[in-house]
Amino acid sequence: MAFLELDGLTKSYGSLTVVKGVNLAVDKGKLVCLLGPSGCGKTTTLRLIAGFVPANAGEIRVGGKTISSAHSTVPPEGRNMSMIFQSYALWPHMTVFENVAYGLKLRRLPQSEVTKSVRTILSATQLLPLENRYPGELSGGQQQRVSLARALVIKPEILLLDEPLSNLDANLREEMRFEIRRLHDEFRYTTVYVTHDQAEAMTTADMIVVMNDGRIEQAGSPEDIYERPETEFVARFIGGTNILSGTRGDKDSVVGEGGLVLRCGSGSTAASGKTAVSVRHHDIELSSAKPKSADTNVTVGTVTRQIYLGSHRDYLVSIAGGETVRTVAPVNVAIPVGQEVWLHFPPEKCRALAQ
Amino acid sequence: MWKKALSAALLATGLAASPAAWAEAPAPYQITPELEAAAKAEGKVVFYTATDVAVAEKLAELFKSKYPGIAVQVERAGSERVFQRIGQEYSTGIYNADVIETSDAVHFEYFKRQGWLAPMVPQEVADKWPADERDPDGNFAAYRAHLSVIAYRTDLMKDADAPKTWEDLLDPRFKDKMVKAHPGYSGTVMTSTFVLSQLLGWDYFEKLGKQNIMQVQSSTEPPKKLAQGERALEVDGNEYNVFRLIDEGKPIKIVYPDEGTPLAVGNAAVLKQAPNPNAAKLFYAFLFSLDAQQLNSDFGGLRSFHPGVKEKADRTPLSKIKILHSDPEKLEPEIPTIKANYEKYFGT
Amino acid sequence: MTSDIQVQALPVQGRRRSIDFSWPTFALLTLVLSVLVLLPLFWLVYYSFRSDTGAGATFANYIALVADPTLLRAYGLAIGMALAVGVLACIIATPMAWLVARTDLPGRRTIRMLVTASFVTPPFLGAIAYEILAAPNSGIVNIMYRSVFGLEASEYLVNIYTFSGLVFAIACFTFPYVFTLVANALDKVPSDLEDASSILGGKSMTTLRKVTIPLVLPAMLAGTLIAILQALTMFGSPAILALPAGFHVITTKIWSLFQFPPRLGLAAAAALPLLIITVILLRAQKSILGRKGYTVLGGKSGTPRITELGPWKWPAIAFVFCVLSLTIILPYLAIIKTAFTGTVGDPINLSTLTLSHWRFVLFEFSATQLALRNTFLLGFLTATAVTAIALIVSYLVIRRSVPGSGFLGVLATAPVAIPGIVLGVGLFLSYANPTFQLYGTIWILLIAFMTIELPAGYQQMSSAFSGVHPELEEAGRIVGASRLRTLWDITAPLLRTSVVAAWCFVFVGTIRELSATILLTTANTKLVSVIIYDLNESGDLGAICVLGIILLAASFAVVFIANRVPVLGGSQMNTRG
Repeated sequence: MAFLELDGLTKSYGSLTVVKGVNLAVDKGKLVCLLGPSGCGKTTTLRLIAGFVPANAGEIRVGGKTISSAHSTVPPEGRNMSMIFQSYALWPHMTVFENVAYGLKLRRLPQSEVTKSVRTILSATQLLPLENRYPGELSGGQQQRVSLARALVIKPEILLLDEPLSNLDANLREEMRFEIRRLHDEFRYTTVYVTHDQAEAMTTADMIVVMNDGRIEQAGSPEDIYERPETEFVARFIGGTNILSGTRGDKDSVVGEGGLVLRCGSGSTAASGKTAVSVRHHDIELSSAKPKSADTNVTVGTVTRQIYLGSHRDYLVSIAGGETVRTVAPVNVAIPVGQEVWLHFPPEKCRALAQ
Repeated sequence: MWKKALSAALLATGLAASPAAWAEAPAPYQITPELEAAAKAEGKVVFYTATDVAVAEKLAELFKSKYPGIAVQVERAGSERVFQRIGQEYSTGIYNADVIETSDAVHFEYFKRQGWLAPMVPQEVADKWPADERDPDGNFAAYRAHLSVIAYRTDLMKDADAPKTWEDLLDPRFKDKMVKAHPGYSGTVMTSTFVLSQLLGWDYFEKLGKQNIMQVQSSTEPPKKLAQGERALEVDGNEYNVFRLIDEGKPIKIVYPDEGTPLAVGNAAVLKQAPNPNAAKLFYAFLFSLDAQQLNSDFGGLRSFHPGVKEKADRTPLSKIKILHSDPEKLEPEIPTIKANYEKYFGT
Repeated sequence: MTSDIQVQALPVQGRRRSIDFSWPTFALLTLVLSVLVLLPLFWLVYYSFRSDTGAGATFANYIALVADPTLLRAYGLAIGMALAVGVLACIIATPMAWLVARTDLPGRRTIRMLVTASFVTPPFLGAIAYEILAAPNSGIVNIMYRSVFGLEASEYLVNIYTFSGLVFAIACFTFPYVFTLVANALDKVPSDLEDASSILGGKSMTTLRKVTIPLVLPAMLAGTLIAILQALTMFGSPAILALPAGFHVITTKIWSLFQFPPRLGLAAAAALPLLIITVILLRAQKSILGRKGYTVLGGKSGTPRITELGPWKWPAIAFVFCVLSLTIILPYLAIIKTAFTGTVGDPINLSTLTLSHWRFVLFEFSATQLALRNTFLLGFLTATAVTAIALIVSYLVIRRSVPGSGFLGVLATAPVAIPGIVLGVGLFLSYANPTFQLYGTIWILLIAFMTIELPAGYQQMSSAFSGVHPELEEAGRIVGASRLRTLWDITAPLLRTSVVAAWCFVFVGTIRELSATILLTTANTKLVSVIIYDLNESGDLGAICVLGIILLAASFAVVFIANRVPVLGGSQMNTRG
């Protein structure tokens, strides 16, 4: 049985339903990322887990015990969880040491034990020299680490992170991603991590849950999500992709509006009517001459934009049927705007999407 | 229901006349050591008064020096506000006051009707007070009297220019120069307005209202405005305040007009619901003692009905002044008219 | 290291089953606030339909309201006076606010502090100070005028006992409302808007006229409306200055209806239009300040642009000095002078200097001690109760912890629309009866002060709460602290400065209150403001000034001490949010 279970979890504010029947199971010790655009309900889901908001329907269970349902909600302080907030929420009137020690003091541990645990976690987060500083005197990264230390020191059953890196600058953000993963590998807390940044999710998560409009679109390992998206939304949201729509052809092929036939190596097509194919930008092969090897999955187009980006060139090509395809090519493939160009979509890279 | 009680007590005060219990005045009492001891046990007496605050505090001091261990709480306000306050308090069941004193005789008729007063007659009053200056039933007695007088600054106005009669005040030369107290606030002025309106008619006040008079509240205030030099002439005001200021050396002179000068009698009484009944009884007797009355005269400039009091030589004795008496029973129904007319002619 | 931390999750030990106090608290507060606010209004309306002369329902009071010329005149004069005060306050305050906020005028900080400090001066004390200064004959200004020009005794320069004198004296003590609002707005007008205008070729004056002034216009209007409201509902100053001048404004007229025989029904009916006017003015003020896109809020565009005064510096200094003299320096000097000399008209020299007023107030006047004790006791109780209630109400409202908590906010703000004298009438009618027997106790005054001060306290606390990021509290909850514990450990220390400020504000507001007090006080519940008023009625200016000095000194002392309470964290108190 999974450690943390969300079962038909629903939350609405008046007539607006922001979380619509979410089902999710997280095993003990795993790090799960809730990923999605703003307003998709991921933060509300997290706050439901934390107990800051009561559920309208469905249940949240931890270790088989119900902690949230439509009838009752265990208050946040009774859940033995920790949370790291977007703003870090460090208490400005307490020193680093006091911030971290607060949760332990509430647990009425002896002073010596409090000091020992706090020192241990502070050295794990490289904050020991700063223990007497006030939060206002720390840099953003240091504040972030205090926030982590404060959450970890109480040994929570579940650790919750709400966009913890969004206030950091780009370099620090990347560094902290690895730091979070490292601390997770070290302490192995069951963790729910909310973010809208796919790179962050990819780096840290054991499982990524893509949410959209209050529902789970797809849940799976980072590889699953990236390579085997189930829906157009997931395909678009994780990594750049081209979505080509058409109708179902014979066997595993899809016929585009301009007559382009795409054989798809994976995925499933809609039973009838419109269906779609996803091809990642860097999976399309671009050449000035018609490739000989293939008779399907090839089309001709016109370059409408070409940008030199140092490591590669970025192309926009319009093809028959009026669709525009974005692709990348090595720097030495330089085809000027307006010129004809051939595109090859390798079948094993084409994923058919039913929705 | 309490609403009824409140309305009855507060709203219809002037009209609701409860049948007065007719009884003989109780036998006079003297200050005995037992009374003193009982008063000391209570330790305190609350005195609601309309006498000038400095005079009242001086009197309290004399009492404390005679009877150490009994504190006197002096609550001084204008007569009408003392009355308003005791009315509000009694209608809501609050009994703070022990001894009450105002310069509006109407009030004591009202208190008596309401049965709020405890009849008692100090020996001194029984022996020495004129009969018409004390209640035949022994509810109250005239603790003090004073005139409401015209007065002027001798440095700002020549004696020859000073008014001699009430009619003189209508002369244009006094425009902008006068100060006057308010009948809605001062019992003295309520009384004087009543007698003057009877004597001179309301058209007199209508004309006086056009003289651009500075309006103050208490009848203690016009003399103080003279002392400050804020105005040169007072239309009305307590004679005793003027005496006190003359004693301090202020250049002020009193005018006793030919038509007569209104007299305000300040009665005092002990309240039936007094929280400190013995201290009240003691204080009440003290108020009429020769020492207290002499102090009122010397320091306070008040007139006394005690035959033993010796007035300072420079004061005009009452016998040489034409006095306008007022009848409280006639005044009482006129109060709303007086206030309405006054506001019409004087603006407030 | 890994292993020993990993052992076992640490649950919060010894936790009692936590009870959610939100609902009971909410219910209790709703009840308390409803009683505070709605009960007096109910009785006010009820009595306005009661006949003063007998029992029974009647419209007579409302008919009198339109038919009685003395009431109409009082309303007319009050409205005229209030409008004039508003205009005058705006004319004085706006240029001054601009000079202080946007120019290189020397001593800007000090000027701001002085103006803010003048909030502490009770308006009735200001009025008395102006009696001393500008009474036509004994006023110090007029005495000096006559002696300098060798004029006759009947000549005078200024007369405070007039309609215009009253307007002036009130404006002197209401202009800080306009000043503060406009100065704060000017602080926030982003300079890039002005820079944009300058780049487009606008001269300084054009920029000022076309950009800066329109941007602060809402603040000017809002401040002016507040000044108008203050003037309209003020009791002390008109009672001191208008009565000698021979006219009533509506507040003094209502008060006079309490004289014997009291006309409570008419007083109630006369108070209601004042309530309605106040509500209308407040709505107008709110809609002016609430218009989005017109007001400038949260300007993050660097420091405001400072205009160099150049040769205009001296006229500007003269202007500011003149305003400060009229509103602060001269009144205070007059009060001090009167406290130490025999009578107001006396010149200052060795023979007139005396401590007799001090001796009288401190040792002879038996009301002093009681009044001081009552005043400070009530100030302390009111400030503490209001701050506590405002704290909890704003917590419930801002954090929306209970559905419908917004209603509490409305209740807590509502008394702002009830003028003091109206509240006094309402409370007298509600509690001066044998059922409650509150009249004559300090509790009725406590209720009055709590009701009067609640909106100000609530406003301060709720803006302070908005400044504390909710995640700071959630962080406390999630590591195991209950709601109350979080409030105590985290929210309270972060709000400490605001709480102290709100406490001081309420304290100062309470000890200067007169309009409601005057109807509710009795012998045993005398307050300093009331004995000052009583003494004014008997003309004892020296004693008043002594009491005024004691009152002011004590207020400043309390505020000073409150701000010296041991601080937590000191400079580290920078809340992010």
